[in-house]
Amino acid sequence: MCKRTLLLLTFVALSLLAFAPVQAQDNTLNVAWPYQVPPTGHFNTFASGGITLGQYMDLHEPPLAVLMWATGDYAGMVAEEFGWDEDGNYVIKMVEGKSWSDGSAMTADDLMATFNIFRLRGDAVWANMTGIEKVDDSTVKFHMDSPSSLAERIILTTNLRPASVFGDIADRAAMMNPDDDGWDALLQELTEFRPESPVSGGPYTILPDTISEANLMMELNPGGFAGDIQHYDMVRMWNGETEVVTPLVANQELHYITHGIPPTTEEDFANRGIDIVRSGMNNGPGLYVNHAVYPLNLVEVRQAIAYAIDRIQNGVVSLGESGVAVEYMTGMSDGLSEAWLSDETLDSLNTYDYDLMKAEELLTSVGFSRNDDGIWVDDNGDTLSFELTFPQEFADWSAAAENAVSQLNDFGFDISARGVQFQQHPQDIYASNFEMAIRNWGLGDPIPGRSYLQAYNRYNGQGQMAGEGAGAGMNFDNNVDYSGGMVNVFDLSNQSSQGVDKGAQAELVTQLAVSYNELLPAIPLWERYTNNALNRNFIMVPDSSDSVFANFGGGADNWMTTLILTGVTAPADM
Amino acid sequence: MTSHSGDIQLDTSGATGPVHAVQRLLTKYPIHKNYNVRVFVQAILTIWAIMSFTFVLVRFMPGNPVDILIEQILTQEGISYQEAYDRVAASFNIDPNASMLDQYLDWFTDLLRLDLGTSITSPGTRVVDEIARFLPWTLFAVGSGLLISFVLGIVLGMMMAYYRDSVLDHTLSLISSFFTGVPNYIWGLLIIIGPGISWRWFDVGAARGTYDPGLTPGLNAAFIASVCEHALLPIITYVLATLGGWMLSMKSSTTSVLNDDYVNVAEARGLKDRRIITSYVGRNAALPLFTQLSISVGFVLGSGVVIEEIFVYWGFGHYLFASIVVRDYTAIQGAVLVLTTAIVLSNLFADLTYGLLDPRVRISGEK
Repeated sequence: MCKRTLLLLTFVALSLLAFAPVQAQDNTLNVAWPYQVPPTGHFNTFASGGITLGQYMDLHEPPLAVLMWATGDYAGMVAEEFGWDEDGNYVIKMVEGKSWSDGSAMTADDLMATFNIFRLRGDAVWANMTGIEKVDDSTVKFHMDSPSSLAERIILTTNLRPASVFGDIADRAAMMNPDDDGWDALLQELTEFRPESPVSGGPYTILPDTISEANLMMELNPGGFAGDIQHYDMVRMWNGETEVVTPLVANQELHYITHGIPPTTEEDFANRGIDIVRSGMNNGPGLYVNHAVYPLNLVEVRQAIAYAIDRIQNGVVSLGESGVAVEYMTGMSDGLSEAWLSDETLDSLNTYDYDLMKAEELLTSVGFSRNDDGIWVDDNGDTLSFELTFPQEFADWSAAAENAVSQLNDFGFDISARGVQFQQHPQDIYASNFEMAIRNWGLGDPIPGRSYLQAYNRYNGQGQMAGEGAGAGMNFDNNVDYSGGMVNVFDLSNQSSQGVDKGAQAELVTQLAVSYNELLPAIPLWERYTNNALNRNFIMVPDSSDSVFANFGGGADNWMTTLILTGVTAPADM
Repeated sequence: MTSHSGDIQLDTSGATGPVHAVQRLLTKYPIHKNYNVRVFVQAILTIWAIMSFTFVLVRFMPGNPVDILIEQILTQEGISYQEAYDRVAASFNIDPNASMLDQYLDWFTDLLRLDLGTSITSPGTRVVDEIARFLPWTLFAVGSGLLISFVLGIVLGMMMAYYRDSVLDHTLSLISSFFTGVPNYIWGLLIIIGPGISWRWFDVGAARGTYDPGLTPGLNAAFIASVCEHALLPIITYVLATLGGWMLSMKSSTTSVLNDDYVNVAEARGLKDRRIITSYVGRNAALPLFTQLSISVGFVLGSGVVIEEIFVYWGFGHYLFASIVVRDYTAIQGAVLVLTTAIVLSNLFADLTYGLLDPRVRISGEK
């Protein structure tokens, strides 16, 4: 008995020693993104389940260009030269002399293959395109109906795929039309296509044998784009969501994450000497109302709600320093407002600073009064009693909801908050099954008109757009009457991203911003800033004042991948 | 054809047709009265009923695979709804709006051919391949944990009963009660935060996964050692979370047996303590726990969900969890089928073995 116990304890001790702490390998960049392991995960990055690695896709399937948000200019990556020609077509000349990890040269054929697959998938970029033409081995011309900033952005932020892998399907797609008999079969073939191994055109390539549920390794691909200017030999991509990667950051095995972390974790990281990097995400939680519910359809009521919520408090309570109160209330981020609106327009905007007196005045102006309990009663004698729903699993949005309800009830509303399962919640909004709700405003996109698609499209009739039947969402009439006249705000949103005349676009954006500011179809609360954990003891990047940190913290244009592709990111001890 | 009382009665003696043929067969060979056959048929019907219920239930969950992936992409990539919808709609070969009856008939027909279908969220990947990828790790880790926990629980429980009211009994009772009260995910987090992060006894990242990357799976020492190392923390967690239950059950069972007359008679006959412990007390006290163990075996597959997520030790539990999150209907159905079959079969095994161990059960069943 004693011997067996001793043996067991010895086994346990030895096994623990097997995991003896070791410092991360030198010259290995430790970052994280969730992925699925094979066979669920695979190397077809066009299909669901593909191991794309999110923004780190740039490291193995490089982008054509990256937008530098601080200047508004694109920095070419695989695209060496790019722009509109005199016929309104978009022309890209690719860098030469680069190769894929399978040895094939990086040429215009890759770009052709990529966009022909997009056509097969029905991607939105083809809404503006009429065709694609290979001019020479490194040049491709995109034929357009009309020039468009949106089309330019979608083209330039595309990640290049290898023709050696996808060329066959792409070529067949190019010969067909969506109405042809074999089209659906070809699409199915694409989604079920499983390349045997990953082929990289970026600075690093995935090593298939290293893929485990814990992490995967990417090795330097010297012939790929930016492969010759890297300071790391390897990249270790840790797998998992926030709760999984948090211990690794605390343990200093993982040195940079883009995962959103709660303020308490942020504080713990800071105590361990880990830097928290904050950059704007151009979106955040807003208070949506169902405009079919009286009196939430009254602009005075929505404005009163805006005045009655201290947005600074709401942001801090919800996400600490990364919950930054929205100032201009234009439906897009303050950063975009400052970039696209004139000083005169900015000065004219109502910032709805916390002011209970103004809220009171607005409600009394439409005939509302308080009852004996201090609760507001509308002109029909009904108390302002509503239910506000929120996705209960989102800690920051839940906090925003609870705080907003508390502030509004202190002012005299009678609102009850109810958490809804996070996957059910958007469906409820799409189906108009709500009175008040916390959903997101804005979009992580530099084109301002796109921010309005949340309020005027996604949460307002998207079901019809997606062919899913009704789905009136928040029941807001997109034909609005404001100080600038009658406009259709959804049409304005789309028109503002068309053409390439920034002055003309700015005029439309101004109409969108001012009308939103006056009518408040939904009430933005705060903008979410990233709280990326960056361990500068291991990674050397510029300090947080560098303009690259103005770049969007997630998805395309991410500052970290931009710094890797430009050869700036390096080991701290270099 | 007509009875004396005037009631119409069915004369099956000379009738033809499949129903009558079955009736004649059952009259000649009354297998439906056989206990084993009855529990086996019940097991099959139970699996079918649960699978049909699951089929309907998953489709009533909020959102379908298309909706869920759209929301994921919208959250992660900051693109418009239209772009996300276009991309996702082209990725899946399903029609979420197809009638449920048609879907059910398709699924059931495939199931009769033992075809679990292909994943919805990873088109072209067979569900059976995915299950084969994840299942062995859970069987190994949770199965090992269950066996270790059971054996330790039996031994410690008997010791508690034998030395009841002693310091040992009080100490072990306290420990087992504490162990029983702390859920497995708390144990998992404590192990990571304490020995892993605070004391740095082991490398949290290196302990993740089911084996070290780069090794060739097979019967080689390096691979086997790696598998054991990576399973260690999940096994310890499972043992800590379940040991107390076995200890308390065994103590209770042993205490009850110790008061039985035949134990007193054995002592009166002057039999040695060792023989009484092993042949008289231990065997009889452990009998109910073996039934409990065989049922627990069925729950092995579903027991690892949280532990596997905490330690990033992806087995069957993770597969089931991940399938539910993305609403991969075919994957969920495949996983639930395996889970249900395991539970039903373990119960069936318990029924049949209990019948063998205790003839009274078998006889009353046949009556």
